Amino acid sequence: MRLNRRHFLATSAAATATLGAPTLLRAQPAEYVIGASLPLTGPFATAGQMVAPALRMFEALVNEDGGIGGVPIRVTAEDSGYIPANALANYQRSLATEPNLVMYFGDSTGFMKLVAPELRGPNARLMGSTSFASELADPVNNPYQYLPGPSYEDQFDILLQQVKDEGGSSVAFIFSNTEFGRDPIAHGRARAEELGLQVVLEEATREQGADIPTHVTRLAQSGAEYCILQGYVTGVWPQLIGGARQFGLPTRFMGTFWGMENAIADRVTAEAGPILDGYSGVMPYKYFYDPERGPVYERFAAFQKTAFAGTPLENYMPTWGIQALFSLTIGIEALRRVADKGLELTADNAAEALSELQDWDTGGFFGVPVSMVDNKIGTGRVYQYSAETRLFTPTSDWFTV
Amino acid sequence: MITGNLKSSYATDEQVLNNRWKRLFLWLCIAGLGLIAAFGNNYIILIACQMGIMLIAVTGVNVVIGYTGLMSLGHAAFLAIGAYAVVIFHNAAGAIIPESLLTLAAIPFAVLVSAIAGVIVGLPSLRVKGLYLAVATLSANFIVLFLIEESFSAPWTGGVNGINTPTPNLLGWEMDTRREQFVLIATLAVLGLLAAQNLFRTRVGRAFIAIRDRDYSAEILGISLYRYKLISFAISAAYCGLAGALFAYFYARILPEQFELHLSLMLVAAIIVGGMGRTMGPVFGVIIIVMVPELIKVVFGALAGGGAELAMIRAPIQEIAFGALIVGFLLFEPFGITQIVDRGLRALNRWPFARG
Amino acid sequence: MGQLLQYGINGLMAGAIYALIAVGIVSVFKATRVVNFAHGYLIMFGAYFYFTFAVLVPQAAWAPEWLQSWRPDWMIEMREGLPMFSPLAAVLDWLANGPRILLGLAGALICNALLGLLIERTLMRPLMGQSVFAMIMLTVGLISILSGSAQLIWTSDAEFVPALAPNTPIRFELFGQMIFLFGADLANMVIALVIFAAIVAMVRYTKSGVAIRATAEDQSTAYSMGISVPKVFSRAWVLASTTGAIAGAILATRNGISPALGLFGFSVLAIVLMGGLDSYLGVFLAAMIVGVLEALAQWQLGGEWAEIVPYVAVLLVILIRPHGLFGTREIERI
Repeated sequence: MRLNRRHFLATSAAATATLGAPTLLRAQPAEYVIGASLPLTGPFATAGQMVAPALRMFEALVNEDGGIGGVPIRVTAEDSGYIPANALANYQRSLATEPNLVMYFGDSTGFMKLVAPELRGPNARLMGSTSFASELADPVNNPYQYLPGPSYEDQFDILLQQVKDEGGSSVAFIFSNTEFGRDPIAHGRARAEELGLQVVLEEATREQGADIPTHVTRLAQSGAEYCILQGYVTGVWPQLIGGARQFGLPTRFMGTFWGMENAIADRVTAEAGPILDGYSGVMPYKYFYDPERGPVYERFAAFQKTAFAGTPLENYMPTWGIQALFSLTIGIEALRRVADKGLELTADNAAEALSELQDWDTGGFFGVPVSMVDNKIGTGRVYQYSAETRLFTPTSDWFTV
Repeated sequence: MITGNLKSSYATDEQVLNNRWKRLFLWLCIAGLGLIAAFGNNYIILIACQMGIMLIAVTGVNVVIGYTGLMSLGHAAFLAIGAYAVVIFHNAAGAIIPESLLTLAAIPFAVLVSAIAGVIVGLPSLRVKGLYLAVATLSANFIVLFLIEESFSAPWTGGVNGINTPTPNLLGWEMDTRREQFVLIATLAVLGLLAAQNLFRTRVGRAFIAIRDRDYSAEILGISLYRYKLISFAISAAYCGLAGALFAYFYARILPEQFELHLSLMLVAAIIVGGMGRTMGPVFGVIIIVMVPELIKVVFGALAGGGAELAMIRAPIQEIAFGALIVGFLLFEPFGITQIVDRGLRALNRWPFARG
Repeated sequence: MGQLLQYGINGLMAGAIYALIAVGIVSVFKATRVVNFAHGYLIMFGAYFYFTFAVLVPQAAWAPEWLQSWRPDWMIEMREGLPMFSPLAAVLDWLANGPRILLGLAGALICNALLGLLIERTLMRPLMGQSVFAMIMLTVGLISILSGSAQLIWTSDAEFVPALAPNTPIRFELFGQMIFLFGADLANMVIALVIFAAIVAMVRYTKSGVAIRATAEDQSTAYSMGISVPKVFSRAWVLASTTGAIAGAILATRNGISPALGLFGFSVLAIVLMGGLDSYLGVFLAAMIVGVLEALAQWQLGGEWAEIVPYVAVLLVILIRPHGLFGTREIERI
């Protein structure tokens, strides 16, 4: 690794913080602030709008438990429109106007990469996000950002392994032409080669309003047995699958976290028929309807029943919400551990506490205890959608990569 | 009451700022900027830096649209070129040039590259104008971004992933805080504005105005359209390149999508709102174009208090406000805020004898 | 060879839709000398109106059952036992959607026509006789207003909308290569071409068409000859917004519905300039050429390249022919 000036600054700041902090006796602030950028508008608005109330619930529940070391928290959410520069502006504004900002929740791979080099010295904050981009799980260069699950590359590995295990030989990658879409493609290509799978098509599409017939034609001509979709949330991927089904293509479709939401799959089934039957993909968490949901989901469910009565969140929490909640839970857990030690809630202390999360019982987000390794939690399982039950059900056991 | 400016020599008539009020105004502005640099809080510095960068770019757009009368909807491309030129220069020349001189070399390099790009993009202006030129520049914007994003340029530009940018270093003064960068941005913005003001005392600037007022007449007067249209594009691209260079220094990482069409439209909107073909036009325009969304944000922040329901309609409202500003000024005050200010000053000047 | 045909046909189908969009821009330009940069956003509104009347209204509690899904007994009988994706099943499913497709189209046409009228009356008419720059920038401002309003009214969400025609797959072999086509795409192409032809015929042969051409030739002379120029303006905008509504509905069924539809306007603008602003023939050819080139770029180079095809094409064309392929050269006098 090249020792550049920024890195030197970061490490020296970390050193001074750890050395100087215990001797500092700080007055406790009235509240800690957790900032968030959400895509309340733009292509992924559906997701952002469902996550926003989840953050409110999170704030209430954390404060019920005494906040962080007895100090209540406040969660502020702002709209980014899924534009990284907007999210960056939001973050910079929060830094400038909220003196007690202890943590930030980012909403895109683009934003996390854009903000990463800004996180140094006094501008650094612990930062979770919606993204599973592999580049973010890099404690050396990027100690403050973490992934609340396996990276997209890991998810691709799992899916490709599954293809291999099922005896498949050819696979197509269709992805949106965004950072989010492109993130695991190069790695996936290499991995497929290692496994002896042939990547017969790599097709970039727009993230919204893609030219479906052309892409489906390409897929049809490639003759791929399997197709992995990456970089979409609500749009494009159902249309692609619908187009392929109407064509009578036998291709089996797979997705990563963001293409695995049950509510979207249900909506597609209601609108376009059982086209998603057999669609499978990686999901790090338990779905909200999991029969063995743990205490955390029960608590959410009780809260949602009263607080969100009459909204879609009354009886269900989408996976996007679960991901945001878990991401924040990790951050709060780290911050609480820092506070318990009597240290100041700096980003460096928090980042250090992150790595202490080993064999951690999350209270039911996962079926097994999880560990934070290299700033990511590499646990998940494969689920498959059935149009009959209208549920994603697990087809594999929990595994950790 | 001022009834005129007495000039007793050609030298005073030729001054860049030809009366004492203008000079006083300049000094007041510099003092104001100094106060911001010294005492402004982080938030003010942040906004002021963004405005400064925008201001330089809009001044450039003003040269080509406001003074030369050529339509351009693609100036964000020049910002992109300037920004990426700086980063590439730092990465490529970092080994040869000592770090304390790198910034001093990188900024002129970025300006030069942008100016050359300006000449290339300006080439269609020799054959087409008005609407066709607008679409040609708009296409250029799409194409430049595409070239930056494509995989063949990814080793230098980082492709869609963007690329980390260096910290400016002026002769050993490392500007790694926003406040220090603000000093750099504000200095260059003021110098850029003065240069623009000066440009229109020169032969070149007057040629631009002649072309704007009627290109064929200008040609008959002996002004080479080809030459001056290209010079105009080069100068305006150079300004945008400078803005792009500062943009790269200001943000720790740049992404191609920051230079999309929307930015080009913002630049043009700023001079419509501020006033085309006037030195102060870009200043007023940038203040409005940056502050209005910011104010909406603050108001909504206060109303919503962190809740998402109101935050959801903020972005659409900002967007509508942006469009309404353009439409409103075009319909009701086509010469922009400078016109309103002029009217106000005139009324003040003649008060109490006449108004308006 | 077969591949080439496949992508050529895909390109022609896309080109027909481009032509349908372009006809709106050309008509407005012919009548009012305004090039509408916001046309793509009119299309987006058309798509959202179609979505509203074809999906949201039938879902409402007060809407009758048959509107959502019209299934008379004979249809249920025929549907019985058919495999999921067979052609007949697709046709029957489409018939079941018939009422709401019609309602959607009618709603989109009416609402978009009203929107076009509103824009023309409030924004464009006050600027009559202003500079090109002011006109262009006004439509640029309109872009933000329209896209912001759309986000306020409909939260941006990519939903399925019913296709205008049964979406049965069509497969046949040509030169030893399997050609895949979507039934709905072919139907869309036919719809687009018929409308395009109808508009060209209208401008050529009907009275109001002649009025449009006269106004395009010389506004003040047209005025003095008893042609109501403001009426011509309104008609042109209605024409543009209604064709835009149909294009929007088609695009919504093809590509899903989202604010990104507005971006089509820019590539179509490039196509229009490439063809020559006031020539229907030129624009039609340009639309087809760009459609095919895009499909070929998609085939040989990948999706990202397809997106810049229109812009490269227009730059090349106007560098060589400054007024487009078939545009009339303007003669300026001092």
